Amino acid sequence: MKKIIKGNIFIIFALSLMVLAFAIESPARDDDAEYAAMIESGRKVYEVRCLLCHGENGDGNGLAGIIRRAERNGRILEIYPRDLAMGVFRFRTTPTGCLPVDQDIIDIISNGVPRSFMPSYKHLPREDIKAVREYIKTFSFRWEEEEPCEPISVNRPVWAGNPDSVRKGRKIYKEMKCGECHGYTGKGDGPKSNDLKDDQGKQILPFNFTTGNLKRGSSPENVYITFTTGLDGTGMPSYEDSLNEEDRWHLVSYTLQLMKKGE
Amino acid sequence: MKKILVFILLVALIIPALSYAKRTPRYKAVEVTNGGTIKGTIKSENRVDDPVIPIRVKPKGDPEETRLEEDTCGSSQQAMMYVLSPDNEVKNALVIVEGITHGRAAPKKDITINNLRCRFEPLVSIAYVKSYYIIRNSDPLLHNTWLGKVLNAGARRTIFNLALPYRDQVIKKPNRVAGLINVRCDIHPWMRAYVYSSRHPYAAITDAGGNFEIRDIPPGTYKIRVWHEGFEDIIKEVKVKPDSTSDFRAVFTNTRRPFFMK
Ligand code: HEC
Ligand code: HEC
Repeated sequence: MKKIIKGNIFIIFALSLMVLAFAIESPARDDDAEYAAMIESGRKVYEVRCLLCHGENGDGNGLAGIIRRAERNGRILEIYPRDLAMGVFRFRTTPTGCLPVDQDIIDIISNGVPRSFMPSYKHLPREDIKAVREYIKTFSFRWEEEEPCEPISVNRPVWAGNPDSVRKGRKIYKEMKCGECHGYTGKGDGPKSNDLKDDQGKQILPFNFTTGNLKRGSSPENVYITFTTGLDGTGMPSYEDSLNEEDRWHLVSYTLQLMKKGE
Repeated sequence: MKKILVFILLVALIIPALSYAKRTPRYKAVEVTNGGTIKGTIKSENRVDDPVIPIRVKPKGDPEETRLEEDTCGSSQQAMMYVLSPDNEVKNALVIVEGITHGRAAPKKDITINNLRCRFEPLVSIAYVKSYYIIRNSDPLLHNTWLGKVLNAGARRTIFNLALPYRDQVIKKPNRVAGLINVRCDIHPWMRAYVYSSRHPYAAITDAGGNFEIRDIPPGTYKIRVWHEGFEDIIKEVKVKPDSTSDFRAVFTNTRRPFFMK
């Protein structure tokens, strides 16, 4: 090895310079070291906090495995940690088919998904949350090929939740046929509720408005964004192109009423 | 000094290697002047009967609505999966030139997927990345049109999922993802369609006589995949010579059950 290097010192040096020059010339190279450091600290956070459920390769096959939970009406829900290698996200503020924006992932990591036993990581330093966010992006090639779309803005009007809006919302719930899946009275027992499958081909149950909290948290804004963007990978479709903004808020009013959170 | 040199060398080699590994190979559009043609026929070894799909509408809250769905969807559907000519030539097979790295630019051509009488129209189509999907609902029912890229392990990856609660509703969505895509409707689990979304123009669908033709291919040797929802894939190599036509014949031997029948 030593000999080889000695004999070829000039070639190696020239080569290194050439490659270095190339590396410096191409954009974003400056950030590489910083990025690598962030990924490294993200990996550490991941291994301590997330690996048990999401698995070494982010494919959701961690030691924790499948969790089964009985719904109040007796049906058994199977809960799988997300396969992060798929690069499909449910809880976005971006339209269906898009990657989430960074803040969406931060929100999920901070709040967790209590209904699915994913804990909240609010207590972690913000730098750690950011680092683990960047680390989980390395599981899917989608982050190299696509940019997230513009998030959908959410501006709650003052009248949301008032009785008139609830009444209008009830009609919209019927027109939009939310009941086909979620049940005509919102109990998650619509005529199609037993036939739904997720991307993995596993059965998935629609949300029961009368018992649960939303996976992403039950604020009016979260209800709005859920049916506007759809929950990619689950069968919950996007109504972005089916409802104008006003009608969407009436629908929120009605579903809050179903959840006994309105008025 | 030597150690430093080795270090510099390693770092210098690793940095670009890392950034290259991140990049995925893309298709390059070039002018093709002496391109060849692949032309041929796809057959089935055996006669296969086309199944009838039974349809059972679950009662809805409003009997009026149940009736509307029964009237629109009917009580059964001919699958139109095995559409064979008298000589067992197969319609709706996709013929795809795989792994092609350069050639003519893909056309700008939007495709329409229509929800019509509780089936998707057309069953098989070819779409082009950077063009648009136009999703239409012609039924007075809620349909949802859910596109997913077909993955190896029988799973799929959502591309988008749209609710279409109104009759004559039309939604336009950009096509960003290449590959074989299946289309589903949760409300009507028997509904299905397939799209091959392509970065290049070198894919075709067989007609009722099992025929296809793919033109203007840069000369070279290519892997051809023949895909059909009800048959196991066939992969064959073919040589394309300048300004001439290569004959391509393939025979499906094994059937398979598509996802909507599982
Ligand atoms: C106790 C198991 C568990 C742990 C620990 C856990 N998760 Fe999860 N995670 C889940 C489950 C289960 C889901 C699926 C929730 C659902 O949609 O029902 C999920 C979903 C997600 C999602 C998908 C959100 C979306 O929009 O689809 C992300 C991102 C995520 N987890 C990141 C993390 C990160 C980062 C950590 C560590 C800081 C972590 N998780 C720790 C169980 C866990
Ligand atoms: C094709 C069936 C289907 C239709 C139609 C449908 N949903 Fe859903 N919805 C689902 C499924 C499945 C889930 C569960 C997703 C999950 O658990 O991750 C869901 C979940 C939800 C959630 C809970 C999200 C969370 O964070 O837990 C809300 C809110 C919701 N839907 C609202 C609606 C509204 C409002 C409509 C009508 C405009 C509607 N849905 C139409 C299937 C449907």
